[in-house]
Amino acid sequence: MPHRLEIALKPELLDAEGRQVKKKAAAYFNMDITSVRCVHILTIDKDFSAAQCRVIKDDIFTNPVTQFSSYGPLDIDFDWCVWVGYRPGVKDNPGETAVEAIEDVTGETFASGESVYTSLRYCISSDKMNIDDARLIAEELLSNDIIQQVRVFSAAQWNRQEGVGIVIPKVMLDHVPTVTTIPIDTDETVRKVSDERNLALNENDIPVIRAYFNDPGVKTEREKAGLSDPTDVEIEYISQARSDHCNHNTFQGRFVYRDRTTGQTEEIDNLFKTYIQSPTLALAEKKDWVVSVLWDNAGVGRFDADHYYVITGETHNSPSNMEAYGGAITGIVGVYRDPLGTGKGSKLVMGSYGYCVGERNYTGELKPRLHPRRLLDGVIEGVRDGGNKSGIPTPFGQVIFHPGYMGKCLVFVTALGIMPSLVNGAPAEQKTTSPGELIVMCGGRVGKDGIHGVTASSESFSENTPAGHVQIGDPYTQKKMHDFLLEARDEGLIQYITDNGGGGLSSSIGETARFSGGCHVHLEKVPLKYEGLDQWEIWVSESQERMTVAIRPDDEQRFMALSEKHAVESTVIGTYTDSGKLHITYNDTPCAYVNMDLLTRGFPQWVFEAEWIDPEDRGLYEPVLSEPSDYATLLCDMMARPNICAKEWIARQYDHEVQGGSVIKPLVGKYRDVNSDAAVLRPVLTSEKGLVFSQAVIPFYSAIDAWHMTACTIDEAVRRLLAVGGNFEHIGGVDNFCWPNIQYDPAKNPDGKFKAAQLVRSCRAMAGICGQWEIPLLSGKDSMYVDGHLPGAYGEHHKVSALETLQFSVTGVIEDIKKCVTMEVKRPGDLVYILGETRNELGASEYYERFGYTGRNVPRVDAVSFIPLYKAVNQIVNDALAASIHGIYRGGLGVHLALCAVGGDLGISLDLSRVPAAGTLSNDALLFSESAGRFIVTVRPENKDAFEAIFRGLPCACAGTVTEERILDISAIDKYPLCSVPVADLRYAWKKPFGDLL
Amino acid sequence: MKQRAKVLVLTGYGLNCDIETAHACEQAGARADRVHINDVISGAANLSDYQMIVFIGGFSWGDDHGAGVIQAVRMKKHAGDRIATFVEDGNLVLGICNGFQTIVNMGLLPGFDNDYQTRATALTYNDCGNFRDDWVHLAIDSESPCVFTRGMTHVELPIRHGEGKLVAAEETLSRLKQNRQVVCRYASSDGSAANGRFPENPNGSMDDIAGICDPTGRIFGLMPHPEAYNHPTNHPDWSRRKEDLPPAAGLQIFKNAVDYMSR
Repeated sequence: MPHRLEIALKPELLDAEGRQVKKKAAAYFNMDITSVRCVHILTIDKDFSAAQCRVIKDDIFTNPVTQFSSYGPLDIDFDWCVWVGYRPGVKDNPGETAVEAIEDVTGETFASGESVYTSLRYCISSDKMNIDDARLIAEELLSNDIIQQVRVFSAAQWNRQEGVGIVIPKVMLDHVPTVTTIPIDTDETVRKVSDERNLALNENDIPVIRAYFNDPGVKTEREKAGLSDPTDVEIEYISQARSDHCNHNTFQGRFVYRDRTTGQTEEIDNLFKTYIQSPTLALAEKKDWVVSVLWDNAGVGRFDADHYYVITGETHNSPSNMEAYGGAITGIVGVYRDPLGTGKGSKLVMGSYGYCVGERNYTGELKPRLHPRRLLDGVIEGVRDGGNKSGIPTPFGQVIFHPGYMGKCLVFVTALGIMPSLVNGAPAEQKTTSPGELIVMCGGRVGKDGIHGVTASSESFSENTPAGHVQIGDPYTQKKMHDFLLEARDEGLIQYITDNGGGGLSSSIGETARFSGGCHVHLEKVPLKYEGLDQWEIWVSESQERMTVAIRPDDEQRFMALSEKHAVESTVIGTYTDSGKLHITYNDTPCAYVNMDLLTRGFPQWVFEAEWIDPEDRGLYEPVLSEPSDYATLLCDMMARPNICAKEWIARQYDHEVQGGSVIKPLVGKYRDVNSDAAVLRPVLTSEKGLVFSQAVIPFYSAIDAWHMTACTIDEAVRRLLAVGGNFEHIGGVDNFCWPNIQYDPAKNPDGKFKAAQLVRSCRAMAGICGQWEIPLLSGKDSMYVDGHLPGAYGEHHKVSALETLQFSVTGVIEDIKKCVTMEVKRPGDLVYILGETRNELGASEYYERFGYTGRNVPRVDAVSFIPLYKAVNQIVNDALAASIHGIYRGGLGVHLALCAVGGDLGISLDLSRVPAAGTLSNDALLFSESAGRFIVTVRPENKDAFEAIFRGLPCACAGTVTEERILDISAIDKYPLCSVPVADLRYAWKKPFGDLL
Repeated sequence: MKQRAKVLVLTGYGLNCDIETAHACEQAGARADRVHINDVISGAANLSDYQMIVFIGGFSWGDDHGAGVIQAVRMKKHAGDRIATFVEDGNLVLGICNGFQTIVNMGLLPGFDNDYQTRATALTYNDCGNFRDDWVHLAIDSESPCVFTRGMTHVELPIRHGEGKLVAAEETLSRLKQNRQVVCRYASSDGSAANGRFPENPNGSMDDIAGICDPTGRIFGLMPHPEAYNHPTNHPDWSRRKEDLPPAAGLQIFKNAVDYMSR
């Protein structure tokens, strides 16, 4: 008989969790709640004696100081009670740790099918709420129907004996695993199967698949293996491997690019090879610190003689858009497996985030699945738990609000690791699989998770079918696995390691077996979460927290012993061979027998039409706008804009100091409340060297030209790195493209050709700048379908596409961390220098956006001409001549000058007439133009000459001083006073929008 | 030559501050071994080889059922006797963050009347309702018997937790105060009491309590992370005062422990 244990905080203690609910209900729905008390419920689906139940209750789950508990419903008053529990098959992390604890204390093992399920009951007191209000809170605040079920009780409905009842969300499939043969008699048949099974096979791939399986030689071989037409395991394998997600068909595609303005047409065969691979390989030759690029799960650079750093970046957009918390935690925990699976394994040292969402206070007609505010809350919390519980600092991140992300949000997650340069005397970045080695799956178990992504529909669920398409990452299981695998690595037990992400075993084994030249997998050995999965499901399931490892048979015993010590499940599920075949069986039933090289030949390239229309021909023009007169109010209003204002509440909930190597934190300045340009950490505690990291996302300029969006994004990321002391000669880049669909369709995607042209231009700009600045692209990913169809006011649906977006991340090595510089002004009397030229470039700026304009004069990066200035910035850091350095980014000089003053809690007096500028600019252009290549630097008066000597001949001018009086005092180009704003007002304006969020 | 003091730094099951804690111990002059919880339980690691155990920060068992709860249950059941002997033998126990939560749940603290079994204090959810990473000022009671804070009156350290609010019955609190077991309190930058004010007191802890010791002063638990201030550049203000950079003050707690062990 199951037992339901209810646990709550004693009534005299503040229920902080309940108070958050109350606060959000008030802020989001204007609902007046007196109090919320939370009851945590454990439903233990296993028999225990009364004595055992007492031990479980008192020794484990009830804190005698703070909690009270009962196997019956706790007697807590409410007007409304909302119960929230998981749907069957949703990862219940606390349920799993409860099982561990109960097993440990009682000495009894939970049999297959027995488990613990956690749920929550909110006791809400409010005499103002009706049933609709209670349902609204239940559905729009406390639960997400994709992963959770809810019940709402009024006080009158509540049964004091039964409580919420006993709900057991157990998965019961009652299904015999079956391998199904797929008929391939015609293309049409295959197309039908593809639709029915949701395979998303590309039209042009179908004849290639049929030709392979109809080949007489292949047929003969397959007959010997007991197979005829392809099995569902094989077709699923091909489908996932050929997917755009795994195979990057868009970036590998052929683009026919036509410039409508000039009438010229050209072809680009393969964006990846042309603009990413060949430039990076050329740079890798030149830069001796580039250790390993473009083949492994992450890129590798040299940190010092004994250590390499590892970096990669990912997105997790579609799942986060459906279930923000689950999607984001799965994303961050997932990207952490990439460095872990790079070389023979890397220790994780840092993560970062980038969120692009709709306006937080959106009040319009469109109805996204999750309101942007709720989505952002969930995403923030997902990355918080994923990062914090992994013990990996999250010292950097950004948030962008734009209506284009209402269709689909973006969740960028980036991960850095560190590994010794040698493992057991051999190069750590190298690995291979060899015939005879064992295929081991480590970590989590396999369920119906993530099969075919998020296409499954929620309507077809019964009470016991798993809600598998949205996952919840489990940092606890992964942290144990991380520690275990690094210990195994150091003992030399790992020959190859890679993660199970998209495509699951199908992808990880399919790729690793290419080295040895084949494999034989015994699917029945794969540990499952519950019985009843078909073989193809086991093969392609994307259940999280799993790594695939190749070990030598001689090492099996030691490897398994270590695994057991770390409480990690590891299972030998097959052998690498040199048979040339991917061979899969299930209890001797043949499931798959295909050539290893099947996927690498014969499949046709995707083709895209791209058509560029330049901004002038698209009708863009500069607005007719006279100079404002009230600069003080304008500046404060600029500071308060969502894409400028403080977001301290996010940075503070992320552990950014774990591992003990924090050097430059996310928030700096006198009151530690202003964003740093970049993060610096000391990944090797015995070394004085640092790893610097920064990133930029400025999608707004894509409204004019994605070329310049790309150039400015890379420039901002680089300047951020330089500002804290990063070395211009050692910058590794990571590109993460997020683009709306670029496949033209006259009805469904009428501007597809233009978006394709934007992609081509973006890639070109990236290749150009990275070539000129010698930035190898250590890693990169793309996510190509950032569109959504949102219901409107009258039952109609609107396609909403994101701006063409690139997140560019940069990293590098800092020789001496003590030379690092932070952005806030330091001392009254210091001289304020403006580096770099300000031009009339207000196109798509924050300033124009304030008035609803786009404009046309987008900022441009003159990559070659910026180089001497950037090297000079390195020089002043090296010579310790700069008291503070800050790049000028979104919002322009006015906003960033204000931030320097707020950070230092000092004043700045600035003369706009002395700011280096191209031609004569108006005051508002000088203050709000977003020209690239600029910095604000403060310098002690005694360092003036040395400083100016370094910048001789470069656009650099002393334009002001730091003042004791906390006022930002700006004089106009004609020397008259322009504005004089107390720094306290600037700080207040900057912090106000999100200031009360914790 | 005198042998270096040996410290056992617990690892595994989601704990995560092992490397920097071991580093801080080494910086302070000790030898530190990172030992998996299961190696302590199995006996593969022998507690009698060590003079100090550090229960470190992290998220043991995901902290799903109250921070440090399951770790405490497991340690108490499988190694409780050995840890009791270890304490009786005059050795040191340090609990940091998740480790503090764990030793409180094991009953090693407050340890009134030689009772190292009873849970009398608890660390529960921050009043602010969220995990928080920030630096705090700690005022240290120099009259406390705590051997880890000897000679210290004030220190700045980072906190990084979601469940750091110390809660105890009135009677327990007054005994703690009476015995000078309240080692450190959250304070303002001038050293005056935070008086529950956020963010100086980051979690709403009763009486601003950040750390307590047992009556002998050899068992010490605190929410802030001394091991995360192991280098001058860890301090949030370091880039503002490069000319006279103060030493990494978190290490002093480990140095005091090493001094005590080498006495």
